[in-house]
Amino acid sequence: MFELLFKYPHTVFNKGTFVLLGGWPLWLLGVSIAVAAVGLWFIVRRYSAESLRVNGLKSVAVWLLQTALASILLLMLWHPALSVATLRPQQNIVAVVVDDSSSMAIQDASGGARLAQAKSVLDSGLVKSLQQRFQVRLYKVSDQLARIEHLDQLTASGHSTHLGEGLKQVLADAASLPIGAVVLLSDGADNSGGVDLETISEIRRERIPIHTIGFGRETMAHDIEISDVQIPPRALPDSRLSAQVSFHQHGYSGSKAKLTLRDGAKVLATREIILPKDGVEQTESILFDAGLVGVKTIETSIDPLPGEENTLNNKVTRLVNVDERKPKILYMEGEPRWEFKFLRRAVEDDRSIHLITILRTTQNKNYVQDPFGDSPKVVKDGSFPTKIEDLFTFDGLIIGSTDAPYFTAGQQEIIHEFVDRRGGGLLFLGGRDALADGGYKQSALNDLLPVVLPDRKGTYVIAPATVELTAAGRDSLITRIEEDPEKNVQKWKKLPYLLNFQDPGQPKPGAVVLMDAIPQQGGRLPLLITENFGRGRTAVFATGGSWRGWQMQMPVADKTHEMFYTQLLRWLVSDTPRRVITSTPRQLLEDEAQVKLRAEVRDRNYVPSSDATVEAHIMGPEGIADSVEMVPEPLEQGVYTAEWTTPKPGSYLVETVAKRANEESGRDVLTFRREDGVAENFRVEQNRELLEKLSSETGGKYYKPEDAAKLANEISYSEAGITIRETRDLWDMPAIFLLLLMLRSGEWLLRRKWGVI
Amino acid sequence: MRLRSIFFLALAGFGTWGALRAQRPFQQYPGVEYENFPLPPDYQEKTEWTRARLRYPSFINVHGYAEPANGGYHRWTIDYPRSDRHLLQGIRRLTRINTRSVEQIVDLDGTDDVYNWPIMYAVEVGYWNLTDEQCAQLRDYLLRGGFFMCDDFHGTLEWQNFMASMSRVFPDRPVVEIDNKDQIFHVIYDLDDRFQVPGAQYLYSGSIFEYDGYGAKWRGIYDDKGRVMVAICHNMDLGDAWEWSDDPRYPEKFASLAYRIAVNYFMYDLTH
Repeated sequence: MFELLFKYPHTVFNKGTFVLLGGWPLWLLGVSIAVAAVGLWFIVRRYSAESLRVNGLKSVAVWLLQTALASILLLMLWHPALSVATLRPQQNIVAVVVDDSSSMAIQDASGGARLAQAKSVLDSGLVKSLQQRFQVRLYKVSDQLARIEHLDQLTASGHSTHLGEGLKQVLADAASLPIGAVVLLSDGADNSGGVDLETISEIRRERIPIHTIGFGRETMAHDIEISDVQIPPRALPDSRLSAQVSFHQHGYSGSKAKLTLRDGAKVLATREIILPKDGVEQTESILFDAGLVGVKTIETSIDPLPGEENTLNNKVTRLVNVDERKPKILYMEGEPRWEFKFLRRAVEDDRSIHLITILRTTQNKNYVQDPFGDSPKVVKDGSFPTKIEDLFTFDGLIIGSTDAPYFTAGQQEIIHEFVDRRGGGLLFLGGRDALADGGYKQSALNDLLPVVLPDRKGTYVIAPATVELTAAGRDSLITRIEEDPEKNVQKWKKLPYLLNFQDPGQPKPGAVVLMDAIPQQGGRLPLLITENFGRGRTAVFATGGSWRGWQMQMPVADKTHEMFYTQLLRWLVSDTPRRVITSTPRQLLEDEAQVKLRAEVRDRNYVPSSDATVEAHIMGPEGIADSVEMVPEPLEQGVYTAEWTTPKPGSYLVETVAKRANEESGRDVLTFRREDGVAENFRVEQNRELLEKLSSETGGKYYKPEDAAKLANEISYSEAGITIRETRDLWDMPAIFLLLLMLRSGEWLLRRKWGVI
Repeated sequence: MRLRSIFFLALAGFGTWGALRAQRPFQQYPGVEYENFPLPPDYQEKTEWTRARLRYPSFINVHGYAEPANGGYHRWTIDYPRSDRHLLQGIRRLTRINTRSVEQIVDLDGTDDVYNWPIMYAVEVGYWNLTDEQCAQLRDYLLRGGFFMCDDFHGTLEWQNFMASMSRVFPDRPVVEIDNKDQIFHVIYDLDDRFQVPGAQYLYSGSIFEYDGYGAKWRGIYDDKGRVMVAICHNMDLGDAWEWSDDPRYPEKFASLAYRIAVNYFMYDLTH
């Protein structure tokens, strides 16, 4: 229809430049139109003075219509046209790139397998019509690009799709060849996360339009797909972990499904979920126990429902490295009290945490309890550390009812560094000499607190208060006593009251309040507040009376107090980094061989260390063993990187060792896994958005298979390759004649309506 | 009418629930030795800690002699409250424990109040006569993390009577001698050299012991983690030592040891 009215496809209008081919100057056109307008005005005014039926606004309407008609006629005299670049016939190459990944083998409801449809489009005339004007080069693309001679070489067997990389390789060819356009036949199911802006900018710079023909259904009729699973890559033994499972579905809105976590054959957790509306991404959390030390391969799955078209995307694998390390926590308590006794008891059975305590028992005596005997000498002798290297041997710190002036200025400074630089966790408990009542507002530790302390004393109150979880507390693992979130909320509400509470002030921006205290006398105060600070984290638990409500008032078999403090202290130290930390962007390589390794190395004082020798020792399946030297990153102090190619699928273990002057700074263990034949199982719907974006950003166009025949005509308009500039007349467009006719008819109809004719 | 009944029943229920759950306020009782002992000016101060004294039913006749016809002595009030007040003053002076200046009287009455006071003391337990329910609650109290110290009972007969109740609290746990090396004797003071602490009767009799209670017995019952949860002071009278510590006639060495024992025992409880 567009072409019928406007004579040319809209590609010509998109790419062309409007020009006037008549020899007269443009200003003359303007003057002519103005003269015509004025002249018509006087004629119309004179006529309306003679005829009372065409006056006022009616005369203005007539004048406008006649002026428009005159303007268009005058414009036509100046010979309007479009100047557009077109590819010179037979002097340009069109690259036809066909997606050969395994997702193209999917049989959609109509039309058979996608690749078969693509071949059909090419065979039924597109290639021939292109070949009439251009040289055609055929390529196939999956994880990389390859030239082919015949369509028979397409097999839909590629393990993954990397369109961006493939197109970049086409551009590389364009450096030496006059490629005028690219035609991409694909379902757009890219496994690298899409085509990045850098690649698109690069393509745009070459001014090569990419025309895309999309295959496959844009949505599946019946399918559930897990899009992502987030699980912490490291954990302490027997930790409670939360897996955040994101998924979407089509065709089962409102149905129930079963979400399961497995470690091999062992079911770790399972729960029922209600599926969201079609196409809506939903995230559910499911708790599980990390178990004993070792690498766990956690498989997350949603049981397929009847009629599901693709069940291979219902399962995702993730790795968790359950570390054998035993973080050490130093608890400094300023007064003997029951909260101290029961906190120690609550965590004594946690084999993964070493709690060392210093208690001020009398005016001049401290009592040290170090069951494991691995504290620095200063602590064993009963004193809080004064040197940074002593304090940094700990992973977490608890400060009880100990007033701030007890710590010297030097100690306060190293506590600050402990959190900020070392990355340790710091927990403040409530008490008579804690928080505002302990003078912390005026101390150097004030900015570590996740709260703005009140400006007054007397914030610690020995009076009953119950507890309620906040919205954030409902999702937090620290406060999860019951598996079911709703039961958990109710349990906390029903617990006996705390014996005391403290006003901690207001949470700082970025702090998270997990629990509120509800005093018997009224009001509500934050009770448990957490925050990330520097490389570490801090928390306030504004009470010294949890022992009463959650331990002594509960039956012997109840483990509320134990669970709470264990989970709180594990949160405090689980993410405290060691001197060497290794990471990789993706722990699971899906149909990819290359792994990127990154190590952060710090010295004894946790200052980034750029003069270390860092080596990664890699062990893989079937006895694979290799060593890679990691090189320092020039722009990041203390960071070392390396890339390595995995020879085969399976689980890999990397032990990174850092040394300085032949002395070991530290080591770390990382695990990752390579799985082949999985990438193409996901995102199998046609990614029309990607294909449209590719074409629109590069000056091309998206086509459905049934419209592909138009491509042969429209492809000629390109500024890449060898082109000539052509002009296309506009004066003889049917739309112009129609417009003139409409203007004239419009005036006639108005006059008839007004009874003039 | 029906609705009103339901309303009042519910109110009563809530009231009972509240009473069950709430911490009972301080109350002073008349005792065998002191009818109306003066209260310290700060007795109402809210603090982090205080030591509870157990009120218990007692036997009228243990040693075979008659006791007052009004039902016998209330043995639980022996030394009370002077002993308690002196002791708590000592705790304030010698430690950083933020203690109340007055004790708390508790009962094993089936309510939840006893669990508000994780450290409990009982005197003259050679005369106590706990019911089965009280034994069960004492066991529950201890297994939840409570600490019980008993004192001022002497000789074989009183030991047997004590055990008649204690063996029903813990039929499955033995009473053992506390070793000198145990932290309970070293947490603040090193108390390897302990001796028998006599009661005030020493001032008149000159005898360190009572009945056939020769030699102090420092005994205990341990929990599954190897912690003392019942500290048994047999053949001694620490209560009298605290009570008479301000009397120049009562030997200082006995009073000092009694305070040191208390400090160690309380500090042990708070650190284990």
